Amino acid sequence: MAATRTASRACEIFTTLEYGPAPESHACALAWLDTQDRHLGHYVNGQWLKPEHRSSVPCQDPITGENLASCLQAQSEDVAAAVEAARASLENWSTQPGAIRAQHLTRLAKVIQKHQRLLWTLESLVTGRAVREVRDRDVPLAQQLLQYHAVQAHTQEEALAGWEPMGVGSLDSSVLNYLLPPGCTVVVLVPPASPTPLLLAQLAGELGPFPGILNVISGPASLGPVLAAQPGVQKVAFCGAIEEGRALRRTLAGWVPELGLALGAESLLLLTEVADVDSAVEGIVDAAWSDRSPGGLRLLIQEAVWDETMRRLQERMGRLRCGHGLDGAVDMGARGAAARDLAQRYVSEAQSQGAQVFQAGSEPSDSPFFPPTLVSDLPPASPCTQAEVPWPLVVASPFRTAKEALAVANGTPRGGSASVWSERLGQALELAYGLQVGTVWINAHGLRDPAVPMGGCKESGSSWHGGQDVSNHLPAWGEGGFWAGAALTHPHPSSSCSPAPPYGLFVGGRFQAPGARSSRPIRDSQGSLQGYVAEGGAKDIRGAVEAAHQAAPGWMSQSPAARAALLWALAAALQRREPNLVSRLERHGVELKVAKAEVELSVKRLRAWGARVQAQGCALQVAELRGPVLRLREPLGVLAIVCPDEWPLLAFVSLLAPALAHGNTVVLVPSGACPIPALEVCQPVDMLTMPLCLSPHQGSQFVEWASAGNLKPVWVNRGCPRAWDQEAEGAGPELGRRAARTKALWLPMGD
Amino acid sequence: MSAHQQGTELDLSWISKIQVNKPAVLRRAEQIQARRPVKKEWQAAWLLKAVTCIDLTTLSGDDTASNIQRLCYKAKYPIREDLLKALNMHDKGITTAAVCVYPARVCDAVRALKAAGCDIPVASVATGFPAAQTHLKTRLEEIRLAVEDGATEIDVVINRTLVLTGQWKGSDFIKTSTGKETVNATFPVAIVMLRAIRDFFWKTGNKVGFKPAGGIRSAKDSLVWLSLIKEELGDEWMKPELFRIGASTLLADIERQIYHHVTGRYAAYHDLPMS
Repeated sequence: MAATRTASRACEIFTTLEYGPAPESHACALAWLDTQDRHLGHYVNGQWLKPEHRSSVPCQDPITGENLASCLQAQSEDVAAAVEAARASLENWSTQPGAIRAQHLTRLAKVIQKHQRLLWTLESLVTGRAVREVRDRDVPLAQQLLQYHAVQAHTQEEALAGWEPMGVGSLDSSVLNYLLPPGCTVVVLVPPASPTPLLLAQLAGELGPFPGILNVISGPASLGPVLAAQPGVQKVAFCGAIEEGRALRRTLAGWVPELGLALGAESLLLLTEVADVDSAVEGIVDAAWSDRSPGGLRLLIQEAVWDETMRRLQERMGRLRCGHGLDGAVDMGARGAAARDLAQRYVSEAQSQGAQVFQAGSEPSDSPFFPPTLVSDLPPASPCTQAEVPWPLVVASPFRTAKEALAVANGTPRGGSASVWSERLGQALELAYGLQVGTVWINAHGLRDPAVPMGGCKESGSSWHGGQDVSNHLPAWGEGGFWAGAALTHPHPSSSCSPAPPYGLFVGGRFQAPGARSSRPIRDSQGSLQGYVAEGGAKDIRGAVEAAHQAAPGWMSQSPAARAALLWALAAALQRREPNLVSRLERHGVELKVAKAEVELSVKRLRAWGARVQAQGCALQVAELRGPVLRLREPLGVLAIVCPDEWPLLAFVSLLAPALAHGNTVVLVPSGACPIPALEVCQPVDMLTMPLCLSPHQGSQFVEWASAGNLKPVWVNRGCPRAWDQEAEGAGPELGRRAARTKALWLPMGD
Repeated sequence: MSAHQQGTELDLSWISKIQVNKPAVLRRAEQIQARRPVKKEWQAAWLLKAVTCIDLTTLSGDDTASNIQRLCYKAKYPIREDLLKALNMHDKGITTAAVCVYPARVCDAVRALKAAGCDIPVASVATGFPAAQTHLKTRLEEIRLAVEDGATEIDVVINRTLVLTGQWKGSDFIKTSTGKETVNATFPVAIVMLRAIRDFFWKTGNKVGFKPAGGIRSAKDSLVWLSLIKEELGDEWMKPELFRIGASTLLADIERQIYHHVTGRYAAYHDLPMS
């Protein structure tokens, strides 16, 4: 009987030549869920934690709606327990030599390899994503990341001593990888009904000697701040939606943990007229319709190839296959009702704003699937153009010239990743350098490697991980950063005349009078008048920032040698003024010996950063890619720096030098209590801009809170003085890291 | 083979405008091999389709009438009758698309096929195969003689000197290689060729056929080739009029896979008739 059925079908398929199902068995995933009686709790300190009296949510197959398991929702006590476990195991884990940690992580990588089928079937089963991507990309990448960072654990020994446990807001397996090797322990809060991270934690826990280094709790996003507020949590990394990240930034402003954000999922593809259009179409498929990326794609097409590209794209869309994620021949699975509704809302809105929508095939409204969708002719000013493109949409718009392409591409608050498709090397590189994003692929899209850092700029967040940026525990910078010393003093308004010559505001290379036309006295340690400095106001700051922006392109394009020359010239000028500066510092109450040392050290700092200008970027060699990946260090743009009161000259120089060395322009507020040495320094410089005596009313907390508006990265001292005279804190790599942003530029090679 | 095409004015700007990004094509070639697995009944049906697209080939210096005869018989009965019966495909006239031999063996092939009572076309490589570095006159004569002997399809090796100096000529059917090169039919090269076929079809409405040859030995390979055609060109190209696989040992592996599908066991080579 069976044979007859088989036979008749073969005959039919011979004519239709259709694809058949190619299901992956998910028996092992179900078997694993059965070991937990289909009831998942949290995995803390090497054990399952299943507290009573908690609500639970069902974990469902997004396609069939079948209940797979129920997952407990954590409450704050559970979070506290997890953080306690992480804290307890920190002592053991962080004091292990790097070699031991490396060994442990390598073993974890091996365990992932052993259980890869379980991992990929479980992940595909519960998320609905095409198993192919999970199997061929995610799982191997997780394993490679662990191996890569295990090796890094050796080299990072001394640089990363003394870090404490960290909470992690949401799971991206790569986040684990850059935290564990340096000796941190981790608490991961995953959204409800995500069993894969729990499985990963179980595998790690069962490995033995360090059970508490990875703890996973599942619960609602509202627990994020609770987790971050736990004592001992030093760093919070959050991957998710932009608005959630913004809210978290506000909530955590002024708190102890450092917050790293990796937000949004939209990507960009820039297709020029000299591109291999067919390959670019495959790039679009990779970017938006292959379950690789969580977000949608903005597509910019040069006018000359618009029609050709649209035709090929629509033809290609007709061959995409949507279906059950566990089918090996499926391109796109389903992502659940929320993602589908989001996409549907965007499509309806775009249509109402006059856009053309093309979908290959149609899905009934109650289907769990959403077809690949191409949106075009969206008016540039419509709200949809500004909004983040959701999965699985591609929003195409034309451009005329490369210059216009850059303007359009950069005219969005998001800056995650982008690819450039052009066979003209010069053009491709120019576009790649000009794009304000974290990663650029040339003639490819979505390549990943553990050796290459991943991150973004602008609202896509400033958290970098992977590669050399592994040690970047504290968030790096986005454009227009803000460095602030928190110990800001309120000004002492005064309008009295003075015998001492007043210092103006140093803006755009000239001293000028402040807008408020008022000065304030600076008194020495005995209370006698030392001089008057200009009292800057909001208007002056505006002018200064404008001047800095004007100077930015010129300074940025200076060669490293020219930048080094300026820093060295500054050093020489400082040296010439040494007696004057020493006496200034002395009058401020600094001992002669210390004052001399401070000036000398300041000179040294300037020279050192001048020398470091030369070596900033590097090329990485990546497995399975012919050609290099360039790790570029790009200036952030205009930096606002508020100097602290300690070490008035040295802190000023230590902050200024790396900022200038990396090609930034700065708006700088010198120490409120002792600004004059800084003003002495800036005389020979025509690159920086400096209003004086800015008076924000709050310190670190305000700065962090305010940064949530546009998610500019900030770096604050939280009122703790830094040891500027120490090499590590005053001139360490951290300063350099914060003064520029990384861009990974992938250059596949081949004729 | 498809009917001879009207052709179109040669416009070399089509060629000069084409951009091919090699790393991207290589990635696509890798993807295509992992993205469309075909299993179970689908696999059996697809493999039978592959059989009907095979140009069953022998191009050896020591070919004689007897092995040509064996080849022709295998072309007529590519899959064991009982296996086809189990699949209910025994009355669908499953044969290979053609047999492909050297010009001097065309006579033998035509005779053997006639004796077997079938009208499978005989294809012949001609024109100074495989290097084509002979005079145009002898190349044309070679074709004429092969056709006189009864060959109905000629695989012409183009003069690559002309190509490399930019003097292109049109064609009804394009082939990856002679099968005698160190590197023959590879997926990246095929992707570029298939895209060119599609572009030409879009521009002129003419369907050019495609034949990968050389190195295609496993049933799995043939499935990938079929899915590559399906993905890049569409179902209408998945027929012997527009798609051929030049192969000699491929058929044996396909037959083994079908044996396995039907019986659940793997066949030893002696279980299946040789070609």
